[in-house]
Amino acid sequence: MASMGALAFDEYGRPFIIIKDQDRQKRLTGNAAIKSHILAARTVASTLRTSLGPKGLDKLMVSADGDITITNDGATILKMMDVDHQIAKLLVQLSQSQDDEIGDGTTGVVVLAGALLEKAEHLLDKGVHPIRIADGFEMAARCAIQSLERSAETFPLDVNNLEPLIQTAMTTLGSKIINKCHRHMAEIAVNAVLAVADMETRDVNFELIKVETKVGGQLEDTMLVKGVIVDKDFSHPQMPKVLRNVKIAILTCPFEPPKPKTKHKLDVTSVEDYKNLRKYEHEKFEEMVQQVKDSGAGLAICQWGFDDEANHMLLQRELPAVRWVGGPEIELIAIATGGRIVPRFEELTPDKLGYAGVVKELCFGTTKDRMLVIEECTNSKAVTIFIRGGNKMIVEEAKRSIHDALCVVRNLVRDNRIVYGGGAPEISCAIAVAKEADAIKTLEQYPFRAFADALESIPLALAENSGLNPIHTLTEIKSRQVAENNPALGIDCLCKGTADMKEQHVIETLHSKKQQILLATQVVKMILKIDDVRSPDDGY
Amino acid sequence: MQPQIILLKEGTEASQGRSQIISNINACQAIVDCVRTTLGPRGMDKLMVEAQGKATISNDGATIMKLLDVVHPAAKTLVDIAKSQDAEVGDGTTSVVILAGEFLKQMKPFVEEGVHSQIIIRGVRKATQLAVQFINEIAVKPKKDDEVELRQLLEKCAATAMGSKLINQQKDFFSRMVVDAVMMLDELLPLNMIGIKKVPGGALEDTLLVAGVAFKKTFSYAGFEMQPKQYTSPKIALLNIELELKAERDNAEIRLENVEEYQKVVDAEWTILYDKLEKLHLSGAKVVLSKLPIGDVATQYFADRDMFCAGRVPEEDLKRTMKACGGSILTTVADLEDSVLGTCEHFEEKQIGGDRFNIFTGCPQAKTCTIIIRGGAEQFMEETERSLHDAIMIVRRAKKNDAVVAGGGAIEMELSKHLRDISRTIAGKEQMLISAIARALEVIPRQLCDNAGFDSTNILNKLRQKHAQGNRWMGVDILNEDVADNMEKCVWEPSLVKINALSAASEATCLILSVDETIKNPKSGEGPAPQGRPGARRPF
Repeated sequence: MASMGALAFDEYGRPFIIIKDQDRQKRLTGNAAIKSHILAARTVASTLRTSLGPKGLDKLMVSADGDITITNDGATILKMMDVDHQIAKLLVQLSQSQDDEIGDGTTGVVVLAGALLEKAEHLLDKGVHPIRIADGFEMAARCAIQSLERSAETFPLDVNNLEPLIQTAMTTLGSKIINKCHRHMAEIAVNAVLAVADMETRDVNFELIKVETKVGGQLEDTMLVKGVIVDKDFSHPQMPKVLRNVKIAILTCPFEPPKPKTKHKLDVTSVEDYKNLRKYEHEKFEEMVQQVKDSGAGLAICQWGFDDEANHMLLQRELPAVRWVGGPEIELIAIATGGRIVPRFEELTPDKLGYAGVVKELCFGTTKDRMLVIEECTNSKAVTIFIRGGNKMIVEEAKRSIHDALCVVRNLVRDNRIVYGGGAPEISCAIAVAKEADAIKTLEQYPFRAFADALESIPLALAENSGLNPIHTLTEIKSRQVAENNPALGIDCLCKGTADMKEQHVIETLHSKKQQILLATQVVKMILKIDDVRSPDDGY
Repeated sequence: MQPQIILLKEGTEASQGRSQIISNINACQAIVDCVRTTLGPRGMDKLMVEAQGKATISNDGATIMKLLDVVHPAAKTLVDIAKSQDAEVGDGTTSVVILAGEFLKQMKPFVEEGVHSQIIIRGVRKATQLAVQFINEIAVKPKKDDEVELRQLLEKCAATAMGSKLINQQKDFFSRMVVDAVMMLDELLPLNMIGIKKVPGGALEDTLLVAGVAFKKTFSYAGFEMQPKQYTSPKIALLNIELELKAERDNAEIRLENVEEYQKVVDAEWTILYDKLEKLHLSGAKVVLSKLPIGDVATQYFADRDMFCAGRVPEEDLKRTMKACGGSILTTVADLEDSVLGTCEHFEEKQIGGDRFNIFTGCPQAKTCTIIIRGGAEQFMEETERSLHDAIMIVRRAKKNDAVVAGGGAIEMELSKHLRDISRTIAGKEQMLISAIARALEVIPRQLCDNAGFDSTNILNKLRQKHAQGNRWMGVDILNEDVADNMEKCVWEPSLVKINALSAASEATCLILSVDETIKNPKSGEGPAPQGRPGARRPF
């Protein structure tokens, strides 16, 4: 009988077509399909393998437009790689969803998935049914998570003692390019999150943390502003550069005579009328400025612009103003200063004004770039991290790294259980899973063991990237973990002389590790379950 | 010479006679081969890539058939029955296709031997009738009035439906959730009252069921962050009005004579908007949802008055909110009374993964619920959604129609035995036909074994023996590679699924058997239909 994908013939030899364009489709079935998927996925994973850990290396990616990105962040690398293969795309989504949920550990999850697939391939060669492998992996993952939860410790989350939080943030930043000013960055991240965190509901609204970047200066100049930075300057160069104890009017209406939205036409028939119109416009300006002045505001921040005439008038009336401030910034300023956004001049009242202790213009070096800093506001719930750095790529990477660190701190605020990093949890899980494996009667024993082996690939990669002898280091740590029954022993990537991650303060959140294992297992299961691929032939 | 009579347009393909039936049967076999391997808990998935590069990974028979883009007219029948099974009961789409294919395969020798199609059709009809009757006879009806027992029944049915899907490891978790979800609905069990949302990230176990409505935060304007994000028993206004400063009439044009009127027009426009807003405020509504955009002025107005608003809410979400919270969708704010405002116990905006969700819980009319699916990759969640859909359909069906039979091939074996027994009492050609149908029914357990990698002949022999001894519910035990009483093992399916599958499959069989001529018009715009690859034609 004719198989799919080829033409079928009836008994007179006439071909008949069952599926549209079937001669132009490609089909892959059975183990061949699974093998080809595994190969694709492993290729992706091996790209990321060298980025893992504090001594992991960066990747340089040039996009089609010639934009250069240098990064160490797994999710970013995969996003930039622009993969085309369906299965590889799954891995990209995998790291993406780890990024969305946790923000950290994006490399680890892909490496783990790759390792699991590699082990699955061996089992397939032995003739184990792919679904049984997947089921076994899933059981093993559950076992690993139980072991993780057993070894997890509660983290002292104390607003007055930030040291442990900073240590954790430092672990995350350790692998990034900015580890030059490691501690400085970690402190910034911790302070930023704690400033906006709602400790009661354990919720952190990231929209209140803004990350601004500016090329120039050094990484050390990066700072946390308890307020808002706006990439704008005062509308007129002669306006004062620093304002103190100022009341702010936040306006979303333009400084110009109001226009009806309905289509309209004004007939100007005589010179008189024309003069009237001019007068009207002028009066309107005066009135607006007066309204702002009357409310007691010392600074006007406008979402829209105003023309030079208005600008001049504002200067005359000594009302500093900022124009063209974007929507999100307006919102942040309003939250920070405790003011209300005012859509009409008529509604401006003194109690709708925000308050800031200092509003100043920052100048950078010899460039004429200026930025506006609004600080000492009534409500410190909006903060801005202002990143400086030698070149655009560093600044961008620093931004990504800070984001990772922010996420980690946020996760700790949400759930303060932790495990120790440096491959320690993977090794302890591997030991637990391998032990469990022997107690299983059925075929799942093999996938169980394979899972344990795959878990070890993370510490292996860590050791390899750190220039240590991988097998030697791993076996040593593993035997010590068993002998000392200490799940905090990991790979000493930084050669500090101790393998105890507790002493090294290498900390990761339990939630992140759990997610890594669960997500990787999920995707591996999905890949293993596919035995039939149908795609247009011009594909890969 | 006899003149040639041209009846049909050139290029028209016409074939007829017995050979046509055979060739149709062959085409159907080819289609069946596509979905064969997806049956059962050890069934595999298919990955299908469309021409645009969109990939779908699925195990659902109907989904696969839909994506195959079948053009062969006879084979299309199979796609249609899969679809109809999907629409009618939602599950068993693969089995219906396999059954139909097997019926045809068994009937092929009769066609070849010259039995008239109508006789075959009569035989098939009779066999189906007997089978359906028998299912109704032996189906087990647990007591419906017992809440606990009904729940258990539903959960087991859901678990069986999900057994073959990607999420089978979490089937306990999901079956509970699905039953909870269906239980929340009112008597009519409308499917669209269960909303399914997908958020990447998190583990499958993080999937949550919201007893109420949840939808993704909509696009918001400046000022949104200043609105409160939590209310207890708020009044909810559901609108279909644009709350934005805009031209009231699109094509209107105003001609203004003098400058004073200018201001009046502007004021008038503002008054229109402010009137609306004030009415909303005065009505006491705390949450304002609109299908149409809510502009920045309105957002800030609401923020000022501690109200929450969301514009551009998708229509189905708005409708579900209406169902849950009461009230009605208003197209005017003219008469806002309490009766048209909805309410719920608790409203909050909550972070789930990378998105923020608006969640309404404790709704007075809670006839709706929302399932928020979490998972590693886009396709993973899509498949989860399809699986949950199947399970929900099954639970709905089972709730309306509570008779169940044992799955795992048990009912098919029992039917097969029953038909074989009956066939022996019939004289005439029908005896052969009915026993052929009986043989065809065995395909389901056989395929289950094949997919799981078992020795199907061996297991089938065991099953036949057990059934002959009167063990009615013996079916394939996938976990232990053996036979077991599937009624006890709680592999249950609603009898309706089986009845529908059987009748649909036999309908399709009869339809295909009764066709003896196909006339296919040439494709317009293209040359004569392709004659196949050169050299591939067999000599006549």
